[in-house]
Amino acid sequence: MTDRSLIARPVAHRVRWRTPSFDRISFYGLPLVLPLAVLTIWQVATVRGWLAPQILPSPSDVAVTFIDLFVSGDIVTGLAISLRRILVGFALGATGGLVLGVALGRSIRVEQYVGPSLRAIAQVPSLGWLPFLMLIFGLGETLNYVVIAKACFVPIALSTAAGIRNIPVRYIEVARVLRLRRRTMVLRVVLPGALPTIFSGVRIALGHAWIAMVVVEMLADTAGVGYMMTWGRTLFQIDIVIVGMVVIGIVGFAMDAGLRATERRLRQWTPDHV
Amino acid sequence: MRATNLLDIRAVSKTYIVDDEPVEVLRNIHFTVAEEEFVTVIGESGCGKSTLLRLIVGLDIGYCGDILLDGTRIAAPGRDRGIVFQDHRLLPWLSVEQNVALGLDASDESPAAVKQAVAANLDLVKLADFGRAYPHQLSGGMAQRAAIARALVAKPRILLLDEPLGALDSQTRAYLQDELLRIHQRGKVTMVMVTHDIEEAVYLSDKIVVMEPRPGRVRGIVPVELPHPRNRAAADFIAVKERVLASLVNGPPLCFDAAPKSRPIVPDGRARRFG
Ligand SMILES: Nc1ncnc2c1ncn2[C@@H]1O[C@H](COP(=O)(O)OP(=O)(O)OP(=O)(O)O)[C@@H](O)[C@H]1O
Ligand SMILES: [Mg+2]
Repeated sequence: MTDRSLIARPVAHRVRWRTPSFDRISFYGLPLVLPLAVLTIWQVATVRGWLAPQILPSPSDVAVTFIDLFVSGDIVTGLAISLRRILVGFALGATGGLVLGVALGRSIRVEQYVGPSLRAIAQVPSLGWLPFLMLIFGLGETLNYVVIAKACFVPIALSTAAGIRNIPVRYIEVARVLRLRRRTMVLRVVLPGALPTIFSGVRIALGHAWIAMVVVEMLADTAGVGYMMTWGRTLFQIDIVIVGMVVIGIVGFAMDAGLRATERRLRQWTPDHV
Repeated sequence: MRATNLLDIRAVSKTYIVDDEPVEVLRNIHFTVAEEEFVTVIGESGCGKSTLLRLIVGLDIGYCGDILLDGTRIAAPGRDRGIVFQDHRLLPWLSVEQNVALGLDASDESPAAVKQAVAANLDLVKLADFGRAYPHQLSGGMAQRAAIARALVAKPRILLLDEPLGALDSQTRAYLQDELLRIHQRGKVTMVMVTHDIEEAVYLSDKIVVMEPRPGRVRGIVPVELPHPRNRAAADFIAVKERVLASLVNGPPLCFDAAPKSRPIVPDGRARRFG
C-alpha cells in the first residue's frame, strides 16, 4: 500500500546522522580500548617481573589454564550449575516481585502495609542474610535458590511499584473512561506503562543475584563458578581465580546485554529506540 | 429545539481546592443538549470547558447541581458517553487497532465482532491502512482521528470532543470539520465539542454555548439555524459569527435559551452553594 511507506520514513532518515561505518567502529571498537590497554599493561608487568608469577600469572598462562579448564569440562559443568541456579532463583524471585510490585503500585492499602518494611529490607544487602539463611536452610541447593530469589525479589517489587505509580494520570483516565476490565488494565495499560522502570529493576536484580550467587558458591558450596575460584585460591593457583573472574564478568555482561536487547524489543513503540 | 433532551446540565458548579483555598471554576452552568444535536462550547482559555467535559464524562463527580443523561444523574463513566481529549491520549505502546479495540473492552462482543467494529470505525475516520501503525508514526491529525475512532467504537449516544482540532493546520482542520459533520450525520451521534474557533463553532453546530471565565459561567447561548452544508462566506453565516463574537468579547450576557434566572430547584433538598 502506498500509505504504508510513509510510516517507515522517519526511521530511515535517522540513520543519516553519521556514516554507518564510523558508527560501527565506534560502537564495537571503543568499548574494547580499555580491556586491551589493561591486557597490555598486565603482559608488560609479568614480562618485566613487576609482580611474582605466583601473585600475577601472565595473560598467556591464564589463557592456557582457561583452555585446560574448558577442555576438562570444569568450566562448562560449573557454569551450567551456576546458570541453572540463576535461572530458577531469578524465575522465583522475579515472579514474586512482579506480583507484589503490581499490588504495591495499584493499592494504597498494600503500599501502606508492606511498602515501608520492604524498603527497610532492601537496605540490608542480600549477603547480610547469608549467615541467617544458612542456619535455616543449611548448605545446599535450596540456600542458593533462596538467596538468588531474595536478591531478585526486592528490587523488582520496588521498581514495578514505582513504575506503576509513575504512569501518567492521563492514561489512567483513559482507562477509566473506557471502563477497562481489570485484566486489560494490568496487561495493556499498567505493565506496558511501567515497563521501562520495571526493566531497570530487573537489570539491577539480575546483577545483584549474580554477585550473591558467586559469593554463596565461594563461601558455602561445592559446585559452580564461585566454588571453582575458591578451589583455585586454596591451591594457590591464581590463574584459576583469574579465569573465574573473567568468566563471571563475561557471563554477567552477556546477561545484562540480553536483558537490554529484550527490553528494546518489547519497547518497539518508542519513537527513539536506537 | 428538538423534541427530547439527551443531556440536561442543571445549575452545575465546580470548586477545586488549591493550596487549601477554594477556587471556583464553574458557576451555575445551565444548558441542554437534544438528541442528535451538535453543540459547541466556546470561551477563553481557563473558563472551565475541559472541566465541564470531565464532569459530563464522569471522571469527576465532586460537583454541585445535576448533570442528567436521559434523566439520570451521572455518577461514573459509562458506555453511553465517549470522549476525545484535548491531547489525543492514544496509548503509545499499543497499535492504532489495539487502541481502538480498547473502546470495546468492557462490552461482551466476540473477538470477531470487535475486529469488525474496529475496522469499520478506522474506515470511518479514513485510517483503514494504519491499523498496525503505532501512535508515534501518525501525524497529529491522524492521531486525533484514531482517538475519535476509539471513542466511537462502543457506539456512545453522546460524543464529547475537547478541542480535537485545536493543534492542526487550517487545511487539515477544514477537512476534519467536514469529517466530523459526516460522522455526526451518518452515525446519528450527539456531539458536544469544545473549541476556540468561532467560525468552526458556527460551521459545525446547532447551538453555541458561550462561556466567560473566573468563574466559568454561561454568558449566552446562540442557536445556529443555518442549513448544511454551510457557506462560510454567506451573509447569514457571518451574521451568526458576529453575534457570537459580540457575546464573547463584551456585551451584556445574552440569553437565547431558557436558562433560569432564579435559583433552580434542588431535587434532593440538600443545601448547595450557587454563585
Ligand atoms: N485538577 C485541578 N486542580 C485545580 N485547578 C484546576 C484543575 N483542573 C483545572 N483547574 C483550573 O480550572 C480552570 C479551568 O480549567 P480548564 O482546563 O477546564 O479550562 P479550559 O476552559 O479547558 O481551558 P483551555 O481552553 O485552555 O483548555 C483553570 O483555571 C485551571 O487552573
Ligand atoms: Mg481545555
